[in-house]
Amino acid sequence: MSGSSEYRVVVSGVGTVGAHGTNLEALRRSLEGGLPVLTAVDRSEGFHRKTCATSAIRLKDGALHGLLSPRLARRMSPASRMAVAAAHLAVASAGCDAGSVAGSRTSVVLGTAFGTPDFTQRLLQQIRDTGPQSASPFYFMETVASAHAGQIALSLSVTGPNFTVSHREASGMLAVCKGVELIEAGLADRVLAGSVDEVTPLQHAILDAWGALARPRRSGAGLARPFDRRRSGFLVGEGSTVLLLERADIAVSRGAPVLARVAATAKGNDPTAPRASWGTAGLRLGESFARRLASRGTPVESLGRVVSGASGAIAGDLAEGAFLRGLFAGGRVPDVLAPKAVTGEYGGAFLAAALLAMKDPDWGTARWFQEADPAIGVAPTGRPTRKFPGRLLVTTLAAGGAAVGLVLDRP
Amino acid sequence: MTREEVVVLGIGAASPFGLGCGPLWDGIASSATGIRPLELFDVSEERTHIAGAVPGAPEALPHERPLTRVEWLALSAADEALEGAGLRQLRASVGSEIGVYWGSSTGAMREGEIELLEPKLEPGLSDRSRFEGQPIGTVAGLLASRLGSFGAVETIASACSASTMAIHAAMLELQAGGHEIVLAGGADSLCRVTYSGFNSLRALCPQPARPFRLGRNGLSLGEGAGALVLATRGFAERQGIPVMARLTGAASTCDAYHMTAPEPSGARLADAMDQALAQARLTGGEVGAVVAHGTGTPHNDAAEARAFARLFGPEGKVPPVLAPKGAVGHLLGAAGALEAVLSVLCLVHGVVPCSAGDGEIDPDAMAPVGIAGGPARPLLHPVVVSVNLAFGGANCALVFEVEG
Repeated sequence: MSGSSEYRVVVSGVGTVGAHGTNLEALRRSLEGGLPVLTAVDRSEGFHRKTCATSAIRLKDGALHGLLSPRLARRMSPASRMAVAAAHLAVASAGCDAGSVAGSRTSVVLGTAFGTPDFTQRLLQQIRDTGPQSASPFYFMETVASAHAGQIALSLSVTGPNFTVSHREASGMLAVCKGVELIEAGLADRVLAGSVDEVTPLQHAILDAWGALARPRRSGAGLARPFDRRRSGFLVGEGSTVLLLERADIAVSRGAPVLARVAATAKGNDPTAPRASWGTAGLRLGESFARRLASRGTPVESLGRVVSGASGAIAGDLAEGAFLRGLFAGGRVPDVLAPKAVTGEYGGAFLAAALLAMKDPDWGTARWFQEADPAIGVAPTGRPTRKFPGRLLVTTLAAGGAAVGLVLDRP
Repeated sequence: MTREEVVVLGIGAASPFGLGCGPLWDGIASSATGIRPLELFDVSEERTHIAGAVPGAPEALPHERPLTRVEWLALSAADEALEGAGLRQLRASVGSEIGVYWGSSTGAMREGEIELLEPKLEPGLSDRSRFEGQPIGTVAGLLASRLGSFGAVETIASACSASTMAIHAAMLELQAGGHEIVLAGGADSLCRVTYSGFNSLRALCPQPARPFRLGRNGLSLGEGAGALVLATRGFAERQGIPVMARLTGAASTCDAYHMTAPEPSGARLADAMDQALAQARLTGGEVGAVVAHGTGTPHNDAAEARAFARLFGPEGKVPPVLAPKGAVGHLLGAAGALEAVLSVLCLVHGVVPCSAGDGEIDPDAMAPVGIAGGPARPLLHPVVVSVNLAFGGANCALVFEVEG
């Protein structure tokens, strides 16, 4: 938990890689365009059903060119490359050189929903096809979910605490919360905190088999439609976003660019959630978060905007709506943005979108939102027009129950 | 800032010796080994054929879906820890605000990998439910769900330090005042990915691992779970729940040296131990025992021993070391939690058992693990330090002290 009348942690850098490109401006343009950048998923391996979701929001081939040296990249899985690239971009955007973050006062906290499905699948297929003694040590090394965080530490010589957290859709937000906690506890001056996930055909097929993904035949162009009555699921996103969290006084003293100040964090759980879906206690969870935020000096009345983790998931958006209604206790819900319609679920671009939402965003919902769902009771805002007092709440509810909130203040 | 004191109210375990702390302590205290021929899946084509499997198999709970193996192990350990802490009192008094901090490396990998290893008969996944438990956070969600908890739930997936770091994270949460009580620990089950993977690294030993022994040549894999109910001192006193031990220090560092090999000097591991002891306001000379990571690989044990020497001084000053992986195998993400449970058991019993494993102690290792089967050594100082290392260089150290 965190919360204080004085700011102890700020966001001083961000690196993002995904279908949108490799910088924050590219993501802003993508959000303003209002439509995701979709790529067809290879279904030739036979994991998909005959009628299935067909696309995902994937990194373009060659997108990381020039961001990592070939010598470094060849020792990594695709997901580790994304995470390391995002971490280096975050450091650079904070006005630091790579050497300046080396050492024990910098920490790494990375969230991942699915770890390393690509190399895990390759390793298992080797074992199946040519026997266990043909298993590749290289693949195995990168099957651990913490490989990405380890590779970031290795590439930047960062020797502070190195955490990997994993709670499906909440992984990235939990990582940011943990990063804030490490700084507040005095265990780090800087934390590279964020999210990484890759899309593989198998992972895509599994999510589709669970009924989690937006279906082309049921929602027009296969779009995710957060909060819409016609939503049919979410789009899988791939990529990595890493924030450089920094102790506020250090950031100020070095004249760092401050993108946001962290006002509070809150974590919780919906105990009614089944293991692969969302629960029905969102209302109570929201009420519980309201109390927590109030106790940390950030009452819900002070929130001027919500960056919602709603993704178009059928049960997930119901839970999110109940959560927001519980949070605001039936009162006025401020402007709600739902960037996952464009960024997709997973891959961390949601975190970067939350930073973009600190300024007055020009994100239209017209391209993907048409009809409010009365069962949800909350609808996303088109282009925010209300006066923004400078404080927003970022929310994420995960299948399985984990819930995270992050309150950011405009610098 | 005055930090809340963190205490241990209950412990639970699932290990190759069986379900419960009783069988675990009996096995460890007698320097026995639970590492046996592996029958969970076919290992006939592997270089090695043994592991520390937990006897038994998950059974479906009444009116509930089938449990994955790792869920079964986690629930067994968690239920024991909660019962030990006075489950009824806890549920009545804290209602829905128990935090869950859990660690795992592979989660329910075993159930998911079957899909890829079996020949496919027709397009589509044969059984989608096989994957439902696979996201690593699933176990923590299940535990929180059974507790009816609206509190924080967090899963650390930092490989072999995962559950040690989960306990560290839980301690931070309690000290910061976010929760008054948490369930912390970790679980992992054996699976093909890790069995074949460690064999591909030539890291597995054909015989049960012999940590810190001369001629040691690899680790043994195992499975299991460890669970601890941790709370603030104030909570325990208000509830009148007896305290088993205190968690007085925790620290994490990263080698940033190599993805699979530990940094040879042990410097960053020693830093973690040093920081954890500093938090506990203790010096190396006040440590009664170390529960070592001690995998049994030449590189791990050598680096760890150098870390001990850095912290405790030259040979002869290292306190008695318990290296349990020759008895239970390497539980990967659950190792730290089980070893934390063993740390508490050492404090409760006031002794440090000799470690399982044949052969003489490596004099270069400078880790007094004792002669297997020898008499337990008295705990001269009521302080136990437990340490773990992981792929990617993540180190974590915990300090437990006797109550009172």
